[in-house]
Amino acid sequence: MNPSIEFLLAFIISLELSLKNSFYTNLIVIVLAIGYLLVRKIKLKKLLLLLLVPFLAAFTVFATLFWFTKKSDPYYAWSLATRVYVYTLTIACVAHDTTAVDFARSLEQNLHLPSKFAYGVLAALNIIPQMASAVKQIRVAGMMRGMYLSFWSPQLYFKAILVALTSAENLAQGMESHGYVEGQQRSVIVPIALNFSDWLWAGIILLVININLFALG
Amino acid sequence: MKFITINNLTFGYDTKKPLLNQLNLTIPTKSFSLLIGPTGCGKSTLMKILAQLYPKYGGQIINGQVDLAGHRQAMMFQNAGQQFTMATPREEIIFALENLQIGPEEYQVRLKEAVAFSQIERLLDQKISTMSGGEKQRVALAVLVAMDVDLLILDEPFASCDPETRKFLIAKLAELRNHGKTIIISDHVLSDYQEICDQIFAFKQERVVRLNDDEMEQLFATAEQTPDLHFSLPDKQASVFTLKQTQIKQNRLLLNQEQLDIVKGKPTLITGANGIGKSSFFQGLTQLITYEGSIKYEGREIRKIPARKYLTHVGQIFQSASDQFLTVTVADELQLSQQHNPHLRYSEDQVAELLKMLDLYDRQDQVVYSLSGGQKKKLQILLMLLSSQEVLLIDEPLSGLDHESVHQVIELMQRCQSELKQTMLIISHQIAELGQWCDYHLVFENQHLSYVER
Repeated sequence: MNPSIEFLLAFIISLELSLKNSFYTNLIVIVLAIGYLLVRKIKLKKLLLLLLVPFLAAFTVFATLFWFTKKSDPYYAWSLATRVYVYTLTIACVAHDTTAVDFARSLEQNLHLPSKFAYGVLAALNIIPQMASAVKQIRVAGMMRGMYLSFWSPQLYFKAILVALTSAENLAQGMESHGYVEGQQRSVIVPIALNFSDWLWAGIILLVININLFALG
Repeated sequence: MKFITINNLTFGYDTKKPLLNQLNLTIPTKSFSLLIGPTGCGKSTLMKILAQLYPKYGGQIINGQVDLAGHRQAMMFQNAGQQFTMATPREEIIFALENLQIGPEEYQVRLKEAVAFSQIERLLDQKISTMSGGEKQRVALAVLVAMDVDLLILDEPFASCDPETRKFLIAKLAELRNHGKTIIISDHVLSDYQEICDQIFAFKQERVVRLNDDEMEQLFATAEQTPDLHFSLPDKQASVFTLKQTQIKQNRLLLNQEQLDIVKGKPTLITGANGIGKSSFFQGLTQLITYEGSIKYEGREIRKIPARKYLTHVGQIFQSASDQFLTVTVADELQLSQQHNPHLRYSEDQVAELLKMLDLYDRQDQVVYSLSGGQKKKLQILLMLLSSQEVLLIDEPLSGLDHESVHQVIELMQRCQSELKQTMLIISHQIAELGQWCDYHLVFENQHLSYVER
């Protein structure tokens, strides 16, 4: 499915389910999401992690409402606990087979967001791994000069922010040196398809979920 | 013939102290121009003005104009790694061509050309952040070729390239010139340009002059002398590092070494092609990346020594100078190197003398990041020499340094080494300059390091 449509769908569903409690709709969304992930050939290990990691949060919510409130409300407890999975699994559906680059391209081409925004986000994402290795390198550079920088040391982050600032400044110049001009029309070399079927699927899924939510809810 | 002209240009970051003063320059188009001059003279600044990045991103034009004669320009930065928006070369080329509103068919043609030009086929879908310095430079050049601009501005584009790659790329650029492109390059190393460049512009005391034919010939004649070099082979000397069945991987297998002893207390030169794994070898030695098998430092397995202790014995001079800095001003940095130093082997007078030797004495109040590329490099090397570890791993100490600075830095390293009997491992492509001083020479090829006599 088109990345932007996927993202909008996940966003609308999560928003709707945040506003209205519906255990059964949550379940349907969870089943649909897991089904979708399996169809898109997610690795079993990744799927298990996706189910295990949010478990702590889900269980805490459940325990609070089920055992530790004056008037136990099982339906409410189940509904809020499964909601945690609605958020993680719908976002997993978006993230699973969409690279950051495809997502940025889709935002630019399909949703017509300004390219500055799309590529700004992308550049920021690309800087994250660089920052991680920069922090490592700063610590090593410190130790070589007899200065031990712990992970809570302000000096470590002072230098890290400096690195980030220079990167941002260089990046702006780098983009411009490669022909980028803010607000100027760009061509499309890698088109991101937005088909009628994307809209159709999104419509059907939304319809099914809303019928559940409001009719059976 | 058309000309790119600079008229009476005065430019500065500080209006009271302009860096370029009433500069006049006429550069013929469709030709190959080489820009030379000492570190910090304003070469990079001038190039960024030509690329129309300045004054937008820094400094101001106080007076005068620049006329590019209607040329579309693109620039390759001194630090090529900082120029990419996207994660891989292919993505970056797509990004650049979309900016220029090129369609998909034309993209295919240009991609093919650019890849063939700089021979980056193998790198096309690799993450740029994992590439070596020389590989990044090749990719940056490929992007410019794909963009197919009229004017290519290249700021020390080959500083991290091995000699073969350098020769190859310069010849390729000459080809572009023959097809009508204008090329402006700054470089400190003059080899390989003699047959190719049409004119040389030299910075001399705040002005830029075009050298005449005699001056050019003279310049090349002094640069071309390659001394006859001879290195020793180790013969049961005490060793500081011992490698056994060592493997280092980064994307792919880089080092696969049965056995190697690195001689203690001597300078050893390490050479090898771009991307072969020289810097990764250093990262293995400083615990920045993991290795398989065994690397022992003074008989102890490196991965078992706590980093905090180990790194007071083994230091590294990084390829990029800014990575080494931890504070703000030159004076702060110097103080830091002295303050926590358990060895403390240099007095204040000695430090002052070393600073003067490197032409950095008057710059102690300056913010380190505002120094020129060459000045940063010199300061960085000084800081690590002051830290005076027993072992120093030095990654390309001479890249981006002018002729004068190269000699200052070698003299400095030589002096510290002979006083403290440090072990120095030096990665460099500039064998001619370092060869006479280094006792041993390790060549890195086919995932293997071996000692050679030449």
